[in-house]
This record gives sequence, structure tokens and C-alpha cells, in this order.
Amino acid sequence: MLSLVIHKQLDAFALDLRLDAPTKKIIVLFGASGAGKSLTLAAIAGFMTPDAGRIAIDERVLLDVARGVNLAPQARKIGMVRQDLALFPHLSAADNIAYGMTGARAAKMTRVRELLQLVRLAEFGARKPSELSGGQQQRIALARALAIEPALLLLDEPFSALDLGTRMELRRELKDLQRRLQQSMIFVTHDLGEAALLADEMAVLDQGRVLQFATPNAILRAPRNVRVAQIVGVKNILPAQVIHSNRVRIGARELETLATTFAPGAKVFACIRSERVLLVRRESPTQTHPNEMAGELLDEESDGNDVTLRFRVEGARLQPRENFDLQIDMPVYVYERLQLARERQWRISLKPNVLHLVST
Amino acid sequence: MRANGCRAVFFSMAFSDTRVGFARPRIRCARILFLALASLLVLFLTLPLVALVVRALPLGLDAWLNETTLAALQLSLTTATLSALIAFGVGTPVAYLLARENFRGKAVVDTLIDLPMVLPPAVAGIALLMAFGRRGLLGATFSAFGIELPFTTAAVVIAETFVAAPFYVRSAKAGFGAVDRRLEQMSALLGVSDWKTFWRVTLPLAAPSVVSGLLMTWARALGEFGATIMFAGNFPGRTQTMPLAIYSGLEANLDSALALSLILVIVSFGVLLAIRQVSPKGLTLG
Repeated sequence: MLSLVIHKQLDAFALDLRLDAPTKKIIVLFGASGAGKSLTLAAIAGFMTPDAGRIAIDERVLLDVARGVNLAPQARKIGMVRQDLALFPHLSAADNIAYGMTGARAAKMTRVRELLQLVRLAEFGARKPSELSGGQQQRIALARALAIEPALLLLDEPFSALDLGTRMELRRELKDLQRRLQQSMIFVTHDLGEAALLADEMAVLDQGRVLQFATPNAILRAPRNVRVAQIVGVKNILPAQVIHSNRVRIGARELETLATTFAPGAKVFACIRSERVLLVRRESPTQTHPNEMAGELLDEESDGNDVTLRFRVEGARLQPRENFDLQIDMPVYVYERLQLARERQWRISLKPNVLHLVST
Repeated sequence: MRANGCRAVFFSMAFSDTRVGFARPRIRCARILFLALASLLVLFLTLPLVALVVRALPLGLDAWLNETTLAALQLSLTTATLSALIAFGVGTPVAYLLARENFRGKAVVDTLIDLPMVLPPAVAGIALLMAFGRRGLLGATFSAFGIELPFTTAAVVIAETFVAAPFYVRSAKAGFGAVDRRLEQMSALLGVSDWKTFWRVTLPLAAPSVVSGLLMTWARALGEFGATIMFAGNFPGRTQTMPLAIYSGLEANLDSALALSLILVIVSFGVLLAIRQVSPKGLTLG
């Protein structure tokens, strides 16, 4: 068990983090910049001393302010890979990896070779960091961090500066490596896709606090509150009022939901992920569902991979204050398949399990 | 109109007002003025050196290789090298602390370190006498142990170190300051002690500034005159360094003085070239 309690008051920022997470997993700290992710890592590494708190990996206590325990970085057995300045620029890749190793020279050399092979750079030991690509540098940094057999590996946006292809490749490799070595990792990122891809469990951070800690799937499907919904990219967050356990009023329209625990009359928000809304052809003979409504495509924009569509529904509005009611995202090829460029009138289907209600 | 333009350009340059744009022909007269002034300075700096070379080169072997000259040369090289080594030994921790730590009185220490660079060397000489001289602050203490500093070779080293060490501290401080602290953090996290981190990461990465600082200190020590003659005196073979031998030679043996001068010019030039090689920014004084 990885147990973190970290309080730190800075001039304009307070870190107030509590997290109990399993070891031998990839734990992702996800949040915008300024959420406190890197400060948390600094506390775990021992670069920053919290005002109060306790940091423990299983039975090993790294920090316990109340008991006066505060291990030096040298004694913590923590590995770290960061986005920039990963390697010692004046040492070769092999010397970087060997840097933290202790023991006989021959044993070190053997271990360096193993680690170079592990990160698939067996031929690159003699090169200086400046002679390696960004992705290769990060691989060497990973090998160097693993060389001390850390109890916990901290990864601070390690792939952010790399191009997309390399990033994807390294993410896969990291995940594979973690599975093989059963290495405990904390991975920090502000990229939701990266978080969802890598995390066994992820913590959503905002203003120095953990808002939610669960599997990526659980967080994406059921964000705990409006703030989490915003952070994990829910585009449709609509004010709603509970009618009874599985009916809500959104705008001027009543919709069916899964059974909720909210009391009738409760003011809530309905979160609808933009990629989970279904479009149905007007003329298709499906039975009209209570959550189905006619809608008109107002505008659209594309980043090349996905298309964002804005719809206004006919009849009772969902968002009377906006000029559109729902945002829908879909891959370009679906957009083309549906011939949305030609057909602007659709039926919109919101399956009950797509509506996730959160308190304000 | 043209004269007016020139004045306007000069005015704008004096106040470095880049917001005002000028047409090309107007800039040209400022350029000519600048080139003229620059040539004047370059000529002024070159002429004495040329004169020295012209007089010193045809000199016979005797001017270069007489006993006084060789003794002065040997003494200068020894004392300047010792000074540079002492500067490295005690200046490195000072430079590192000034670059890395914040402490009370840091500004005072920083200024104090710089002071000998602007202090007239004669003042340095008097001050050293008042501290380590027979009747100085610590003179009695040293005497009690049978140590007499003034007018010894040790006094030469002390005078040179006093005057020249700040050059090393300045340069090394800039070098340490430029080493990213996160690399030292990373080293600590890899289990390496702060002391070893300094030798394995900080110093190697600051090496260009450290080496150029040492070269500057060495060159400054080699040329030291005022503090040395006041604190160490002018005894051939013991305290008569090259600059002192040149001074004496003006009266006794002008040829040796010329020869020694040319050697110093060449050495200084070589040091500056070497600094340019090791330090990408060339000569930096912090």
C-alpha cells in the first residue's frame, strides 16, 4: 500500500493531498498544470518538506512529520524520470545508467547491459545524451531510474516533449515493462488519453486535492462531481432536477435515467459524454424512446481525427440559455459514413445509462 | 539637413531609443563615426605592443637567459600556480555557497570577495602588512611560532592570492549557478551523497567556468606588482617576480626588462586565447 498524506502551504497555493493506492500498479496523477502534481512528486522524492503529513510505501516510512521522520532523498529508494533534463549531459548513456549503482565494477557492467537491453538500446551505451533522440533519452532515463531497484518509480510527464508516434510507443513499452517487473509507479500527466491508457487507477487532482480516485473507466463513466466531470472532459454538463429515482427534468424536458439515489426534487447536473450520444436517421423505423428527440445540426468543426457537432433539439430545450443543446463528438470516418455534411436533421438518442447525475 | 540627421542618430543612440526609426542614409554617418573611434582605440592599444616587440625581438640571447630573468620567470610561474591552486581550494566552496545558498550577509560576502578586484594593489599591500606584518594584527602570533611572512616567497603567494583569487570566485560562481539544480536532485535520488554529487555532476558541468576562472587568476597573479612589492619586497630569487624584475630592469638592465615584458605579453595573450577555447562566452567576469 502506498500511503500519501501531504500538506504544504505555499504563498498562493495549498497542497492538501490524501491518497491510499495499491503498490505494483501504475497510479496516474491527473490534473491541469498547477493542480499540485509535481509538488506531490517533489514531496515523495524528498526535494520538498511538507508542513505536515506522512509518506509510506508498504511498511517503509519515508516521511512522518509528527514523528520527526524525514529520510534524505538518497535513502528513499525512489526512481524518477522527468520531462526535461532527464540525463546527466556529460556522461554516456551507460555511465548515466551506472551512476546510482553500487558494487563491483564487473557486476555493474553486466547490469548496465541488461538494462540497456530492457529498454531496447543495447547498442547505444557509449553515446552521450546529446547524441540520442528524445525518445531514446527517456528510455535511458528509465533504465537509470530502474538501476537502483526503486521501491517506487515517479514519472513526471516523461513523454510530453516527444512526438506523437514516439509517445504512443513509449507508453506501450512502459505499460509492458510495468507488467513484467511489477514495478510500483506514479505517473503524472495532464493528458487524459495518456492517463486513461496507462492508469490502473487514477487520481484526479485539482487545486492541491484529490477529487476522485478510481479506475479510469469508472471516472470517465461516473465522475464524482461537476469539477471532476469538467476535468475529465465531459462536454455536456446540464443543470437538472430529479423527478423520481429514474426520471430527471433537464431544461424543459423529462428524461429517463438509471436508478439514482438522489431524492426527488434534488438539483443536480446531468453529465453526458459527447462521444456517447447516438444519432439515428429520421426515417429509420426504430421505436421512439422517451429519451429520443429530433435535432438539427447547427455547426461542426474537426481537428482531423474527430468532428465536434453542435445540435439544437426540437421542442422543449435542454439548455435554454445556450444557442445549442448538445455537443456530440465522433471520429471523422463515422461523420463521413453518416453523410452528416448533407443531412442536417437527425433523431438524437440518449440512452438512460448515458446520463450520469452528479451533485453540484 | 545631413548634420541634423547625424545629431538625431547620435541622440537616439545615446538614449538607445529603438522606437524611433531612421532611414538608411542617416545611419551611415553614425557608422563612419563609430568606425573612426573604434580604429583609434585599436591603434592605441596595438601601438605600445608593437613597439615592445620591435625593441625586444632583436635582443641577444643574454637578455633572455640571464640569471635575473630566469630566476624571476621561475619564481613567477611557481607563485602564480600556487596562488591559482589556493584560489581553487578555498575559492571553490565560497563560489558554490554564493551560487547555491541564501544566507544572511550574502551580499556583504559577495561584495567583499569582489573588493580586491577594484582595490588599488598598493592598498592591498599595506593591508596585508597591517595584518601579517611584524607589527600587524596576526604578526605577533606568527612570530611566536617563528613564522615571519613579509619579504618571503610565501608573502608573494599571499599577495598574489589576495589580489587574484576573486577572479576565480566570480567565474566559478557563475559556472555553479548555471548548473541546473534538478541534476543535483536527480543525483541525490540515485543515492549519491551531496559531496560526491559535487565532484561527479556539479564540478564537471561547471568545468568551463572553473577552468577559465583559474586561468584568469593565474594570469592576474603572474602580473601582480603593487601588493607584492609592498608586502614581499623586491629580492631577486626570493620575491622578485617578473613584473618586479621589469621594474628593477628599467634602471639596471633595460634589455632584460624588455625581454620579460614580451614574455608576459605572450603569456597573457595565450591565456586569453585559452579562456576563449574553454569558455563558450569568452572572458566573463561573472
